[in-house]
Amino acid sequence: MAFAESQNPLRVYRIPQSRYIDAVRWLSPVSPSDRFAAIAYFDADTNSPSIEIAYVDPNPQSSSPTLTPQSSWTSPSRISSLRTAHSTPQPLLAAATFSGSLHILASDLINGGVMESEATVSQLGFHSGPVSAVDLREGGIECVSVGEDGRVNLVSFVGDSSKLNYRRIFDSNGLVGYTAVKWASPSEFATGGYGFGIQWWDQRTPGGPVLQFKGNWCQGKTSGIVHSIDIHPSRKHTCLAGGSSGTVFAWDRRAAQQPIVLSGAGTGEAPNSLLSESEVWEVQYDRYTRRLNIGNISSTRILPVMICSEDGILAVIEQGEEPLELLAEPCAINSFDIDRQNPSNVICSLEWESLAILTRS
Amino acid sequence: MPGVSSDSTRGALVPLSPESPGAVVYPLRHGLKSPISRLSISWSRGNSLRVSVFAAPSSNGSVNDGDGGKVVEVKLGGGDGEISEAHWRRIAYGSVSPFALLQSRKNAVSSLSKMSMNSSPYDGDWWDYIMEYSKDINALLVNQKSASVPVLDDTKSVITKGEEPTSLKAAWELLEMFYAEKPSHSWLPERLVDWLADYDSLFSGTHPTVHSKLVDFQKEFVNLQVVEDDPKYWEVMSSALAVGWLNIVVKMLRLHGSYQLDQLSNRETENGLVEAVAVLISKMPRMRLEQEAGKLGECYKAKPDFVKAWEKWRGQINKLDSSAFWFQCAHQQTREGLRSMLQIMLGNANSLCSATYNWIELYISHFLYMRPLTVGLESMYSLAQKSIQLKPMASAHRLMGLIIGILGENTEVVLAECLKGFGPWIVAHAIELLTAGSDHAEMLLHEERQNLGGISIEELHRLVYAQVLSSFPLTWQIAPIYLISCMKHGMILLQILLSKQPVQDNQLLLKSIEICRLYELHSVTSNIMKIAGVHHWKHGRKGSGVFWLQQARDEYRLNRIALQLFDSVGKTISDESFKQWEGLIQLLGSDSKTAGGLEFLHKYRDFKKSLRQIHDGKATDPARQAVESLISLMKNPSTPQRFWLPLLYDSLKLLNWKERPLLNVSQTNLLLNKLQELSMARLRPDFIESELPPQALNSVRLALGTNLGRAILEE
Repeated sequence: MAFAESQNPLRVYRIPQSRYIDAVRWLSPVSPSDRFAAIAYFDADTNSPSIEIAYVDPNPQSSSPTLTPQSSWTSPSRISSLRTAHSTPQPLLAAATFSGSLHILASDLINGGVMESEATVSQLGFHSGPVSAVDLREGGIECVSVGEDGRVNLVSFVGDSSKLNYRRIFDSNGLVGYTAVKWASPSEFATGGYGFGIQWWDQRTPGGPVLQFKGNWCQGKTSGIVHSIDIHPSRKHTCLAGGSSGTVFAWDRRAAQQPIVLSGAGTGEAPNSLLSESEVWEVQYDRYTRRLNIGNISSTRILPVMICSEDGILAVIEQGEEPLELLAEPCAINSFDIDRQNPSNVICSLEWESLAILTRS
Repeated sequence: MPGVSSDSTRGALVPLSPESPGAVVYPLRHGLKSPISRLSISWSRGNSLRVSVFAAPSSNGSVNDGDGGKVVEVKLGGGDGEISEAHWRRIAYGSVSPFALLQSRKNAVSSLSKMSMNSSPYDGDWWDYIMEYSKDINALLVNQKSASVPVLDDTKSVITKGEEPTSLKAAWELLEMFYAEKPSHSWLPERLVDWLADYDSLFSGTHPTVHSKLVDFQKEFVNLQVVEDDPKYWEVMSSALAVGWLNIVVKMLRLHGSYQLDQLSNRETENGLVEAVAVLISKMPRMRLEQEAGKLGECYKAKPDFVKAWEKWRGQINKLDSSAFWFQCAHQQTREGLRSMLQIMLGNANSLCSATYNWIELYISHFLYMRPLTVGLESMYSLAQKSIQLKPMASAHRLMGLIIGILGENTEVVLAECLKGFGPWIVAHAIELLTAGSDHAEMLLHEERQNLGGISIEELHRLVYAQVLSSFPLTWQIAPIYLISCMKHGMILLQILLSKQPVQDNQLLLKSIEICRLYELHSVTSNIMKIAGVHHWKHGRKGSGVFWLQQARDEYRLNRIALQLFDSVGKTISDESFKQWEGLIQLLGSDSKTAGGLEFLHKYRDFKKSLRQIHDGKATDPARQAVESLISLMKNPSTPQRFWLPLLYDSLKLLNWKERPLLNVSQTNLLLNKLQELSMARLRPDFIESELPPQALNSVRLALGTNLGRAILEE
């Protein structure tokens, strides 16, 4: 396994938070030097969940980055999923909760990061039980939410009403539960769930998923859950998914039912190339690359991927290469986010109530 | 009921009898209007009590808002005021890695010593490992509170505030210096001097200290014009000198008015005396390994060198004390103050006693000026006893109890003082230090004891700490690290801990399963999965339920829920709702072992699919496939009987296929037999009638008969 330190300088800063972090996202900055992050906290001492916007000062005098809280919003329940849409200067946040509500928040980064709740869906019947995942469409006018209750809801927020309207796209009545969702295009999105299943949806073809992927590659082995999906805007035919047993795979919709396994179960390789054996909580395409041009990479080749896992690994995987380990923590890394504008910056949340900020250079 | 105050309408919960001095009253905000009839108290997670308050039913029978009852949580105050709960958790998280590392090194060392019998297990790097462990733990105890910057300008501030010291760190450093530093007890007195310099302020809360006197003086100091006229100036300097804070004393001496340029000429002798004392103080010989840069005093590593310097230094003090210059010093306070400082430096017992404020300070001053060569815990202990006699105290600070325990070389007292004063965390981690160099302590702490249920004291304290960790929702995940280091009961308690974790949330569930995987607790894994499966199933998340039961390979429950699923299949598998089922059937896979009775659904789906393809009644190939699915379904013992007739009724168009009979004779006979069996079964009382038209059975029978005839003809 390759270690990052030996190849390129990597600076890691751990910042204790004294609160559990349920999710963390970068916000798109107003100016190139600014860094803002949205952090979903859970304060175990007072039992209060909240979302805070923090200004991240990457290079203060004390040489390690500092977080300066800008504003805070108290959530009615713990945050199960947090996404941001990259619109400036008022980035939107979509926060889903364990009590089954969805909140759209807007943060004004110019005026001190004040955060306001724009709208809320919490009526009975939106989701029964927790919302397991949510995704905001780029540009931020539509939001899709899924749950283990088998409901797929589309929430649109045009106009200024504080009550959001939602449209039920599908309800499997609990026969199928969904645990991850990601937009692919204005009309298409992908969901993931149990048994490493991925469903492809197209709003133009209502009534159910257009395509279903059920890898028959885990036959005989224990199956798993998809925890996170990513779709690259230039490779919409490929769904990247991460889940149980250290599994990271890509599903090329053109190549039917055969998954491209990047790591974990079913690789059939020597065990020492196994990056992680536990849950892969999040996957994202790593836009920070030393390669010249993404366009030069063959469209069948999977772009570099960053993952974080329950056994404390943050790593970059490239197809056919040794994974590059960025962090190996003694505790779980529950979520991470790569800065869109400056992909050398990564923020991740650690199980032991702290944040880690990485700068690659 | 004991513990409930008689005035129950105020709703206060009193955990101890009101007479006891430590009673704390926690108000309950239950918001009930009617009087309370019953109260039930149980532990919630962590330090919280769950109190269920039941109101008395209202007498007139009407139901009002606020009737009934309410459950409230009462958070009991965290025992330690100086360390917040969040800081405690940070310490708990941070100590996991050093602890685990030391355990694995211990295991490696002990397996190595088993291989080569002659080598002692604690050779070589062992002390380095212990010291590394102790330093790692010590680093966690640094208070995160930002150090307050002194408001006075630097020339006038006599004490600078660094980080806010905590008793916990002070306690750990005591343990470290006595147990972890490779025993070289001749340095111990000087280490204690340094320790008191760092932590004297901790005693200020309960006892008068040199530090608090300095702080008080510092406040007045700003407004003083002629500092040497104030008796406090001399008093405080003597005290600081007695406990060896040489830098502070010299700095204060140089604030003496005679140093001011305009006075230098007419106070020349006075100034000379002040400076002479300052120089003597800064030249004080110390027997220690090293001196921090900038600290005054001259250090000597070897005893003969030190003794020589010490005698010379005392000779100089005596010479100055008996010098004639004192008569030329006109300023009385200066004269008296300086000479009393000389007495302290000469080790005058009365001067030391009056300059210090509690026994530890007195103890330290004895090390510095009376017995700098004290070696060995025994003599240190008797000196401590003597100091306590000279300066007895009504109540002992928890650190003082610990010091006495350590000096008394009583491991059990040390552990008891640690537990009483600082809680289970320090005990679980300090045992590593206590056993590091002492065979006696190791035997004592590792011996299996009948009165502890066959476990050792070490295991007991680890279990207690693990239990504390387990009770908090954020720290339970690190309890396993401590539990697996307990040979006797650790594994069982770990299994109990994992089995008790909530299963509602997938993330938490998977974290529990991950811990099971690490420690190869496969039976616990499958139990947790079963519990999760049933939980999800009960809450209508059928897919999740089936998944977890499949993961647990729980055929029994899969078969049971299959029966329930078939009920809804019978009603809802129409073409429209097929999409809902599709995902579940995909999840089931074709592996019958993991699907249990649900395997039927998979075949049923295949059958329905092929039936749908032949709706035009012409395509023969799909029709043949449909027939094969039908036959395999009817042959399969897992196909529930109540589906036989609906299956056959759905297949009517196969049976009446126009071109040629699709079923051969034996296949038709099989279906006829099944039909016969069904007719018999209908007579039984527990038979479930399907929702088909009444003539369904007859039309199937007729079609089968016709098909049989056609098949016979064809063959």
